[in-house]
Amino acid sequence: MSATVPAAHPAPHVSPPSAVKPADLARSAAARTRHSVRIKLWIGAICALAVIVPIVLAPLLPLADPNAQELSARRLAPLVDGHLFGTDQLGRDLLSRVLFGGQVSLTIGVLAVLVSGAIGITLGAAAGYYGRWVDTIVSRLLEAQMSLPLLMMLLLVVALFGPSIPVITFVIAIAQWPEVARLTRSLVLVEREKPYVDAARTLGLHKIRILIRHVIPNVFKQASLVILLLLAQAVLLESALSFLGAGPQRPFATWGRIISDGQNYITTSWWMVTLPGLMIVLLVVGVNLLGDALRDSGPIGKRRSPKTGTPEKNGATA
Amino acid sequence: MLTYIPKRIGQGLLTVFLTVSVVFVLIRMAPGDPAAAYAGPLATTEQLAAVREQFGLDRPVWEQYLIFIQQLFTGQLGMSYSFQAPAFEVVLERLPYTLTLATASIVLAAIVAIPLGVWMANRANTGKELGANMLTIAGQSMPDFWTGIMLLSLFAVVIPVFPASGFATWDGLVLPTITIAILQIALVSRMVRREMSNNLALPYLTVARSRGIAERVLTWRYAMGTAAIPVFTALGTRFAAMLNGVVVVEVVFAWPGVGSLIVRALETRDYPLIQAAVVVTSLLAIAVQLLIDLAYPLLDPRVRLGKAASA
Repeated sequence: MSATVPAAHPAPHVSPPSAVKPADLARSAAARTRHSVRIKLWIGAICALAVIVPIVLAPLLPLADPNAQELSARRLAPLVDGHLFGTDQLGRDLLSRVLFGGQVSLTIGVLAVLVSGAIGITLGAAAGYYGRWVDTIVSRLLEAQMSLPLLMMLLLVVALFGPSIPVITFVIAIAQWPEVARLTRSLVLVEREKPYVDAARTLGLHKIRILIRHVIPNVFKQASLVILLLLAQAVLLESALSFLGAGPQRPFATWGRIISDGQNYITTSWWMVTLPGLMIVLLVVGVNLLGDALRDSGPIGKRRSPKTGTPEKNGATA
Repeated sequence: MLTYIPKRIGQGLLTVFLTVSVVFVLIRMAPGDPAAAYAGPLATTEQLAAVREQFGLDRPVWEQYLIFIQQLFTGQLGMSYSFQAPAFEVVLERLPYTLTLATASIVLAAIVAIPLGVWMANRANTGKELGANMLTIAGQSMPDFWTGIMLLSLFAVVIPVFPASGFATWDGLVLPTITIAILQIALVSRMVRREMSNNLALPYLTVARSRGIAERVLTWRYAMGTAAIPVFTALGTRFAAMLNGVVVVEVVFAWPGVGSLIVRALETRDYPLIQAAVVVTSLLAIAVQLLIDLAYPLLDPRVRLGKAASA
């Protein structure tokens, strides 16, 4: 695999069965794509898990109470007195705050993706499958949302219904459903022209039944590839809302608010903003890399049948 | 073409009208009393009632809405409560700042992202490309407010090169522009790369290459020629979205643009100001969108407006 010497040695008598050597195959575009997909998967998984595992295990870890104030230990630098991330302006352990805050941010992110996925797939599939007025309404909604001052609307809705976790989840879902809907719609537009849909109709199945039982399951896998990318955006959006003061209220310490609180001390206590931010970046980079790798590997996974048919290719990747 | 433009303008105006109507209802449903915010915590009930009457808030909502529509068609959008000035003028005063910031960011993003995307497409599936790819992923994974604070603390506090906030001199533009551009560069360069690598695989490029046309011409004139439209659209759409206020970055850098104005208006429940800001920014965003669509035929002679664009 690592051989870079081109297969140029002359073979005067015995002509090889093929001029394509395993090394050439390893340098082929497909092999390199697989290679970079694998690198992205690994780095992405490591980054994401490095944040997610401590967050999930936070209650089991020997951490200080995230809300326990200790005024004698205010703004300690990282690694001082057993505070790995230091402490904040009220002497609260920053690592503990970041991990417990991460539980809230992550929960909101996952829930928001599920809700926006459900809305997006339902409306997108309906628009693509039924066409006509359903499509017109959904498409107009999608267009209107593009010209809306989105963040302002989200702040308004949060002000209206209060900054509770369900409201913030819903608000993020509103911001995200167009992406899923647009993708699902375009997939269903192709899918509904396939012969099996006609066959099902000929067999007398109801239109809704065909859509739910046959069309949606067929596009679901492709549509769900964007889920990880949406999760990354959801985490970012939640942190922005929290930063602007429209996040879950106390006692929840979400990442955006920790950063917003620490902003005033940036000149003297760099860790209060830098470390929570790095946690967000690490998580979002990880999730984005995973999402990217899954999307890139999608078509390769589909072309698996010819790949297994050519043994040399398998030899090149093994 | 002659029916296309009026139709698009009509649709756009309708969208603005519906948007601002939704906002009108939402802000009045939201808890919080503009009169209380204006008169202060020590105001008596009588003072509050007087303020409400002065602002016209004592009338039923439907009557307020009718007055608002009347104002909309006469081009006045009421008096801002907190500025005690016509809301429309307050917004127009802030608009140049947002426009400057949005233009600077999108220009910087285009200058960096297009060559970067082309570079990545030309080196598809190499180690360098993978590295650049990961950098763009990092760029789109940083929360903009955090990037802003980091740049601020680095270049305004630790190494004082640029001012920390505001728009006293042109230096103040640098950090917010970079903050916004990082995300835009990441998104746009990935898009350029995708478009270019799709185009570079097309038969017409193989033919052109076999005729001995220089690689540089192939990339920039042949492949970029067809990639120009989606790239241009992406840049334009991002610019239009920024006109609605680059809220977070404006707040971080205390930038006196429309975004920070809207946040402040929301906090003080300054109804006319919120409405005026929504009307002005969404009108602008829609105008930019229309200009992008009108520019298509210039970039790609295959496009004919009114037929293709109706879908």
